Amino acid sequence: MKKRAMETSLAHQSPRLIRSIERRLFLRQGLSLGALALLSGCDLTDDEGVQRLLTGMSRWNDRVQSWLFSSNKLAPEFPESAITRPFPFNAFYGEDEVTLVDGKSYKMEIEGLVREKKPWTLPELYALPQTSQITRHICVEGWSAIGKWSGVRFSTFLERIGADTTAKYVGFECADDYYTSIDMATALHPQTLLTFRYADEILPPKYGFPMKLRIPTKLGFKNPKHIMAMFVTNEYPGGYWEDQGYNWFSGS
Amino acid sequence: MGPIRAIIAIAGLAASASAYPADAPSGKPMKMDEPMRGEMKKNTMKKGDVRKAAEKKARELKAMMEKEAAGAAKK
Repeated sequence: MKKRAMETSLAHQSPRLIRSIERRLFLRQGLSLGALALLSGCDLTDDEGVQRLLTGMSRWNDRVQSWLFSSNKLAPEFPESAITRPFPFNAFYGEDEVTLVDGKSYKMEIEGLVREKKPWTLPELYALPQTSQITRHICVEGWSAIGKWSGVRFSTFLERIGADTTAKYVGFECADDYYTSIDMATALHPQTLLTFRYADEILPPKYGFPMKLRIPTKLGFKNPKHIMAMFVTNEYPGGYWEDQGYNWFSGS
Repeated sequence: MGPIRAIIAIAGLAASASAYPADAPSGKPMKMDEPMRGEMKKNTMKKGDVRKAAEKKARELKAMMEKEAAGAAKK
């Protein structure tokens, strides 16, 4: 009915105007389809050319998101009463398969564009100035939960190791084989924390012992757990889910 | 060892034990050939795919970062 009314009203318009509207509709629908494909992380096709095009669109999307990102804009923080109990466990494996890291022999490796490449033990990391936050973890799967994390501001840690903060990326390698990377602006954001505690207790293995990078301005899969090594680079490092088609920036 | 030293040693051991998580899970090894958990995966993905991808990525990044480090050292 609505379409028929639209056709009747359009019948009085010039063919040039109708072509222009059709072009706009086509572009809008095409962009929506492209955005849907990127958001879902699904493959519409395995054709290499299409994949290249979608990857290119996703990288363009990353650039727009990083341009829009404000290092002064803070994610909302919540009172203790808002904490989700129990905080959900989420990984590509089951909770009974969580990677166990030996805290006593643990050393975080540092590589790339940094001045001090010495590995960091847990007592050294725990001795850094600590801060806490109660923020919402938002998962790309469509759920969210509020938790309390404590640790050192990542910007403080980067400063301690003499990281080149003009570099583009910080990458992470984890004990469960997971890997990801973030942009330097997010790494320096005041709410990005290298956390060692959850709910005032040493981070349990299921939440990422010995440390988890907590980034309340990004989706959950950009918050690596069980971090074993980190590096600073200008070479795009990608990430496990990002290399499968999920948007790399994935933040606000 | 005197009683005071023994108390200090026990207190030290207790403190170091509590510095690490008490509720450690069973640590069952990951079954690499099983399908992945969670909603992010495609149906064909297996848990072991992450390790394979990580090893490939580490090789690629190592080469790129060595080149980058060599470039930085020249400056």
